[in-house]
Amino acid sequence: MDFALTDEQIAHRKEFFKACSELESQKPASFVGFESIFENDECWQFHRSCAKEYARRGWLSLAWPAEYGGTGAMMDRVMFGEARGYHGVPGLDPFGVQMLAPTLLAAANEDVKKRFLPSIANAEIFWCELWSEPNAGSDLAALTCTAIKKGNEYVINGQKTWNSGAHKADWAFGVFKSDPNGRKHHNLAFLLLDMKTPGITVRPIPYMNGATIYNEVYFDDVHVPAENIVGQENGGWAVVNTLAGFERSALDEIMAMLRGLETLVEFCNQTKRNGQPLSRDPLVRNRLAQLACELEAARTLAYRIADLQNRGEMALMDASALKVFASEFGERFAFTATDILGPYGQVKHSKWAPLNGLWENMYHECFVFTISMGTNEIQRNIIAWYGMGLPRMK
Amino acid sequence: MDLRFSEQQEILKKMARDFLTTECPKALVRELEKDEKGYSPALWKKMAELGWMGLVIPENYEGMGYGFRDLTVLVEEIGRNILPGPLLCTIISTFPILENGTDEQKKDFLPKIARGELILTPALLEAEGTLDASGIALKATAKGDDFVINGTKMFVEMAHVADYFVLAARTKTGTSEDGITLFLVDARSKGVTCEVIPTIAHDKLCEVKFKDVSVPRKNVLGQVDKGWPIIVKLIEKGAVIRCAESLGGIQTCVEMTVAYSKERVQYDRPIGAFQALQHIMADMWISMETCKYLIYEAAWMAAEGMPCSREVSMAKAYVNEAYKNVSKWAVRLHGGIGTSGEHDIPLYYRRAKAADIAYGGTDWHRELVAQKIGLT
Repeated sequence: MDFALTDEQIAHRKEFFKACSELESQKPASFVGFESIFENDECWQFHRSCAKEYARRGWLSLAWPAEYGGTGAMMDRVMFGEARGYHGVPGLDPFGVQMLAPTLLAAANEDVKKRFLPSIANAEIFWCELWSEPNAGSDLAALTCTAIKKGNEYVINGQKTWNSGAHKADWAFGVFKSDPNGRKHHNLAFLLLDMKTPGITVRPIPYMNGATIYNEVYFDDVHVPAENIVGQENGGWAVVNTLAGFERSALDEIMAMLRGLETLVEFCNQTKRNGQPLSRDPLVRNRLAQLACELEAARTLAYRIADLQNRGEMALMDASALKVFASEFGERFAFTATDILGPYGQVKHSKWAPLNGLWENMYHECFVFTISMGTNEIQRNIIAWYGMGLPRMK
Repeated sequence: MDLRFSEQQEILKKMARDFLTTECPKALVRELEKDEKGYSPALWKKMAELGWMGLVIPENYEGMGYGFRDLTVLVEEIGRNILPGPLLCTIISTFPILENGTDEQKKDFLPKIARGELILTPALLEAEGTLDASGIALKATAKGDDFVINGTKMFVEMAHVADYFVLAARTKTGTSEDGITLFLVDARSKGVTCEVIPTIAHDKLCEVKFKDVSVPRKNVLGQVDKGWPIIVKLIEKGAVIRCAESLGGIQTCVEMTVAYSKERVQYDRPIGAFQALQHIMADMWISMETCKYLIYEAAWMAAEGMPCSREVSMAKAYVNEAYKNVSKWAVRLHGGIGTSGEHDIPLYYRRAKAADIAYGGTDWHRELVAQKIGLT
C-alpha cells in the first residue's frame, strides 16, 4: 500500500501543472467553467488554442500505443487531468480525446484508426456525441433515429438531443438504429460523421441560465460513408459500452473543486460579515470542513481508480461510485457556497459577482455532472446489479 | 503508487478473519457485553500467542516488528467481526512508549505488552468530555521523587481491568497546551478508584478517581509540562485505528444487508429486487468505498511518519458519519428483525456511535480540518 508517486511521475506532474498554470493566465474573463467553451466564441477559441498547446507537447495522445504516436503512461493522463482541473483550463476535447480515441483504439479497424486518430492527437478535429433522443435517455437502446445502409453509405434520419457542443464541433460520433426490425441491442450502428454533411440541422436548447450548452440535432437524409463505422454492422451496442468506460475522468473535476474550495476559503478569510471575517463563523468553518473531508474522500477514490487503470483494469464499479459521489458533492458544494455568499450568491458573472460568478454558475451547471454520462440513478443500478449482485430490473 | 494490500497484509488479513470467526462468535460478543470484565482472558491469551498486542513492537522488545499500516489491516478485520476487550486501547497506549519512552520504560513495558501480560489504556478525557487541552484539569504536583495526582478521568476504556493508565495531567496551572504531562500510572496504586459507566456499546468506559495517588518521576512519559504534542500523536493514531475498525464494521453492514435482501421475500420476490432498496444499498456501498481510500491514505501517511493531522481529521470526521449512516440503513433494511437485541446488526449500529465519539467526534475533527485548509 503506497500512495507515493515516483520521482519521474513527480517531475511530469510539475510539468503538467506549470503548462496549465501558464494557460490559466491567458483565460478570457468570460471563462467561468469548462462548459463556457460551448457558450461563446471567445471561450471556444481559447479551448482550441489550449488544445494546440497540449498537442504540441504530445499530451493529447498520452497512454496511446506508440505506433499511433502515443507517449507516456496512464498515470501521466491522470496527472495531466489534475493539472487542467486545478488550473481550470480547457483544451482537452472530452469527446474526441477522452471518449472516442480510446474507443477507436479498442474497437475500430486499422483504417478507421489511421484516418481519425492523428487529427485527434493534433487538435485539428473537435468532436461531439450524438447519443440521447427525446424518447431514449437512460434507456439508450430504445433509440429510433435510423441509419440505413444503402450501398456504400448509411443514410440517417431522425433526431438526437442533449448534445453538448454540436454547434461548435467539427465531427460527431453517434449511435443509430441500423436494423429497424432487429432485436434490441443487436440493431445499432456506431458511426463517425462530419457535422458539415448536408441534411444536418443543429438547434440550440437554451440552458436554464440562458447559456447554450445543449443542442437538438436533426437528420434529414444525411449520407455517411459506410467505411465510417466503428465495430460490426448492427454491433454498435458493444462499442457504446466500450465508450462508456472511458467517459470523463472525475479527477479533473475533483481538482477543479479543490481549487474552488481554496478560493472560497480565501474569500471567507478576506470578507467581513457582522464585524468579523466569515472565516471566524463556526458554521462556515464546519460546513467548509465537511466539504473538504468529502472532497478528499473523492480524491483518494479517484487515485484508487487511477491505480487500477494503470494496471490495465477498468475499475467500473468504483468509477460508478465516484461518478455519483463527486457529482452530488458538486451539488452540495454549489448549495453551500451560494449560501455562504449570502445575497451575492445569486449574482451572475458581472462587476458585482464575487469569485467571477463561479458559484451562481455552478448552481445551474452542477446537473451537467449528475445527469449526463449515465444518470446517477443508472449508476446506482449498475452498482446494485453488477457490484452487489442484486436482481436486475426487467 | 500501489494501493493494493501487500502479500504480508493479505496473509495477516486472512489469518485474522479466520481466527476471529472461530474464536469470537457473536454469542461471545453478546455474552461479554454482560460480563463484568468485558473481555475473555482465554481469548486474550490466544491473541497474545498470535502476537497481536506486540504487532507493531520491534522484535528486540519481543514484538512482531510490523508497521502501522499492517496494524490497520488487522484492525479492519477486528471491526468486521467485533472484538470486545482491551486490545485496541492497549495498542494505542503502546505508541507513546515506543515513540517517547525512555530506554528503561521501553524495557519495562514493551516485552510485557507483547507477551499479553499488561493491559494499558489512555486516560485523557475529564468531566467536560472535550479532547482539547483545556479539558485537562486533573493535577499532578511534584513532591520529592514523586508526583501526587488528584482528580477524575472520564470515559477511560477498560480501566477496570487495566494495569496501567497513560494519563494526561496538569503540572502547571492554566488551561493551555503547555503544562500538561503524560504519566504511566499503575492502575492498582493506592487512591485509585474505578466505576464502569453504562454505555451504548457496553465497552466498559470508566470513571476513574485519583486521590493523592503517588507516581514515581521515572514514570513520566516524555518531558514534564511538554506532554501535549505526544497526546496529539496518540489521538492521531487512535483516530486512524478506530477509523479502520469502523471500516470493517461498515463492510459487514453492507454485506449482511445485501445478503439479507437477497433472501427475504415479500410480494413474491426478494426485497433486494426493489429499486427503492437497491439505491440505498448502492449508497451504502459508495460510503464504504469512499471511506476506504480516505482511511488508507491517512494510515499510509501515519505509517510513513509524514505529517498527517489534516488527513487523519478528514478521515475521522467523514468515517464517523459514514459508519452511523451505513449501520442505520442496515437496521432499516432488515426491518423489524434489525431492531432485535438478538440480531447482529444492532451490535454494529451501537458500536458506530461509540467509534464516532472515541478520539474525536465529527465536529471536533471538522474544526481541525477548518484550520488545516487555511480558514483563519
